[in-house]
Amino acid sequence: MNLSLVDPFVLAQEYPDTLTEKLSSGHATCLSFNHKGDYLASGRVDGTVVIFDIETNGVARKLQGHTRQIHWSRDGRYLLTSSQDWKCILWDLQDGSRVRTVRFEAPVYIAQLHPFNHLLFVASLFEDQPVLVDVSSPKPIKRILPSAPLRAQPTNGEEVDPAVAAKQAAQDAKHSTCVTIFTAFGNHIIAGTSKGWINIIETQTCTTIHSMRLCNGVVILLRLASNGRDLLVNSSDRVIRTVLMPDLSQLGIDLEASAIKLHVEHKFQDVVNRLSWNHVTFSSTGEFVTATTFMNPDIYVWERSHGSLVKILEGPREELGVVEWHPSRPMVVACGLETGCIYTWSIVSPQKWSALAPDFGEVEENVEYMEAEDEFDVHPAEQVHQRRLDQEDEEPDVVTIDAVKGVVEADGIEPFNVPILLDVEDSDSGEDVVAVGPGTMRRRTPGAGREAVNGTGNGDVEKEGASGRAARSRRR
Amino acid sequence: MDKSRSAPRRRNPRAISPAESSSDELAAGSEHDEAERRRASWTIHKGFTPQRPQQQDRRYSDSESTDELAVDANEYWRTSRSRRRSRSPVNRHTRRDSESQGSSGEPVDEDMESSNEQEAPGDTDAWSDRSATPVPPPVPPKPDHLNYKEKFVMRGHIRGVSAVQFSPDCSMIASAGADSDLKVWDTATGRLIHTFEGHLAGISTLAWTPDGQWIATGSDDKTIRFWNVKTLRAHPRIFSGHHNYVYQIAFTPKGNILVSGSYDEAVFMWDVRRGSVMRSLPAHSDPVAGIDVVHDGTLIVSCALDGLIRIWDTISGQCLRTLVMEDNPPATCVKFSPNGHYVLAWTLDGCIRMWSYLESRVIKTFQGHVNNKYSLSGCFGLYGSPNIKYEPPLAFAVSGSEDGAIIFWDIVSKQILQRIDVHEGVVLGVHAGTLNGKRMIVSCGMDKTVRLFEEVSEDGSQPGEEDAASADSNMRDDHPTDDADGDNAMTDASGLPSAAATPAEDVTMT
Repeated sequence: MNLSLVDPFVLAQEYPDTLTEKLSSGHATCLSFNHKGDYLASGRVDGTVVIFDIETNGVARKLQGHTRQIHWSRDGRYLLTSSQDWKCILWDLQDGSRVRTVRFEAPVYIAQLHPFNHLLFVASLFEDQPVLVDVSSPKPIKRILPSAPLRAQPTNGEEVDPAVAAKQAAQDAKHSTCVTIFTAFGNHIIAGTSKGWINIIETQTCTTIHSMRLCNGVVILLRLASNGRDLLVNSSDRVIRTVLMPDLSQLGIDLEASAIKLHVEHKFQDVVNRLSWNHVTFSSTGEFVTATTFMNPDIYVWERSHGSLVKILEGPREELGVVEWHPSRPMVVACGLETGCIYTWSIVSPQKWSALAPDFGEVEENVEYMEAEDEFDVHPAEQVHQRRLDQEDEEPDVVTIDAVKGVVEADGIEPFNVPILLDVEDSDSGEDVVAVGPGTMRRRTPGAGREAVNGTGNGDVEKEGASGRAARSRRR
Repeated sequence: MDKSRSAPRRRNPRAISPAESSSDELAAGSEHDEAERRRASWTIHKGFTPQRPQQQDRRYSDSESTDELAVDANEYWRTSRSRRRSRSPVNRHTRRDSESQGSSGEPVDEDMESSNEQEAPGDTDAWSDRSATPVPPPVPPKPDHLNYKEKFVMRGHIRGVSAVQFSPDCSMIASAGADSDLKVWDTATGRLIHTFEGHLAGISTLAWTPDGQWIATGSDDKTIRFWNVKTLRAHPRIFSGHHNYVYQIAFTPKGNILVSGSYDEAVFMWDVRRGSVMRSLPAHSDPVAGIDVVHDGTLIVSCALDGLIRIWDTISGQCLRTLVMEDNPPATCVKFSPNGHYVLAWTLDGCIRMWSYLESRVIKTFQGHVNNKYSLSGCFGLYGSPNIKYEPPLAFAVSGSEDGAIIFWDIVSKQILQRIDVHEGVVLGVHAGTLNGKRMIVSCGMDKTVRLFEEVSEDGSQPGEEDAASADSNMRDDHPTDDADGDNAMTDASGLPSAAATPAEDVTMT
């Protein structure tokens, strides 16, 4: 509703320019926005997932479990966390409970939920085959995905040299998948391997339908833009590539699997220092590419149409790790590697003073004032009032809500609202554990230290509340 | 947008609205189409529609401004409305004439029908080469009055009741007043569920959290407290920070932010989870009397006794628009319309004005109630059969009055649809809700009562009322034939939650 009132020049601004906020709750190492963009999940080194409310910058919920990477379900209700402790956990934010816990045979690099089915996810494991996991039943069903690239089949009866074939097989065996993501509709999985190959795997059959060698280094990260057609690849050869993909949903209709072509659009790299990139992300619209760099506190923003660097976001004094772009607003968050703080860049629009004084307008230059013909005519107040009433002849519609433009809800998924908990422990300091004596630590009682503020009034009720919560936190 | 305001404010916008000036539209150059096309392709590329309205070719604003961007949004609303309203200027003229001459609801109805008849043949003429599209059945005339009947009188407050509100699911009613108690009532039976005590001074305002679990109350003891309806406990955290009486509070639709207006002239945005002030909006120079949040949570409206109504951006906390009448009557309450396009504002000159805040002008003025001392409040509501589609949908505004009446106005015609005179003192608060498909309103007043009214269908046992005056007499008489409502029984029942006093049929009928 506010868009029609906001300064259009502010709305036209597409990327953030100033550091506006610093959130801190423990040492955050990974970040993820939900699809609607009102919550930010951060994973802390102590294994807690903290969900921030973007509107209040407050903590909306905390989930205890080990994390390395977080992914939201589309409706914003479920959260998949993966970790080096060989586990993936699916959380329900309705009550903060664990829906499923899936154990693997190796540490998990990255796990991602299917875009429409929150009970299906794909996980890439450390030095192991990636798996597609169906958790619709309590006992997870794991299907192993291939890592080896699809080789061209020998054509028209050509003899395959067994030596070459054996060599190829040996090479293929060295491939291990480092990152797997779903395509926009979830029909395919895009996998990046340690040898710089990109494999496209059909979700239904778990077979590779296309492979392509992109680079020599390890594929570290793959990301899809919101349009589902642009792929962002960060690899260990210190080059960020944007790749244009064919519309895979047309596969079998207009497009043959053999006709799939991945086309590298841009390569972004630091030509001077040859720094490697810690983390990369697309902007909300996919028009910009953002990256944090090794040993450097800056965030680079490139524009994609020309491939030029448009902005370097500065502010903190530490190297930044994960960087994320808000799904609809020009807002970038990144977490510092040293302190674990979450930094937010966005646009600061100045207050238009004419909005405060309705009789005034902001003009660029002097304007000759033209006095209206009847400006100083004096009419009886009654008459003015009556005339005004007579002019109110419109038929306003006060009920019908306009279709909201540009909101992801168009796909018919009711966005989930995280319940408002009034007793989430507020840990800006991040000290959930306090020392009570030499060598003994105790989890801090939530609400402690607040008694001083609320000392008056219903003391007994308050005591009950505090002790009740203390008991609960101890159980946890 | 700001420049446009330097031009005379009340010029008829439709005289130059592009909806009619089709020749000009054709004259708009090809470069314009080009720009439009580029914009469209860019939109596709971006994957979302730009926030700025796309009516680029409608460059006919009533200002001399060269800044097209600035007038865009303003123009957009105006044109979109005029397009919706009518096609031919002739049609509009007849309508305005008939509307201005008629004082009762009758001519408006005729006009509605006539406009439909005029439009339908026009369409078929224009597309005569196609097969005739089926003409939709004529919309039945708008009902010219409402028929709310008193259902329960809830007594129990020791002093005047200042605020009343249905819970989000309308199964409960919360009321609070000068006796500093918060009482929760069962809507279906009218029984008292619980009384929350704790405030040290009278309560001026209350608000339910959107999930219906908590009630927040703002009091003259300068604090806001939270009460849990499920556990019947007070929240241990007291929201203190205001330096003077808390006047009105409102939640954002998600329930994560509470906005409060106070006598200390500040508007505070509270982080509900933390219980701390997140942001303070400093811009009023008199007590802030009214606060509301739009349905999607992006805008906050506040009004103060200095007569200013300000629209705020929730995210940035900036003032986006200020609305004021020339003679600055103190504004005591504001409410967004259900779709958020308009703001209803109560002022102490005995008027309720509906503003289009985008255009900064008054669309409708509702009069007929008495309001020169108290902060009355009210709300929007729907009427008419849900099976019939009206264009625009039928809606009313309802408010209390200082003469003890509850008055319903039709939004479009400004006619009084019903007047209920049952309260003995000032009616301070009215709130509309729906339970099990029954439309209800609940009111509270200085006579220490909370009263629940239910809409009764015309064709029921109830004889139709001819006009508002007879409705009053009906209500006053409390005539005994009205057995379905059991008014008399409940009036006697008083606030004590004695089960015997509640007739069984009350429970079954809802």
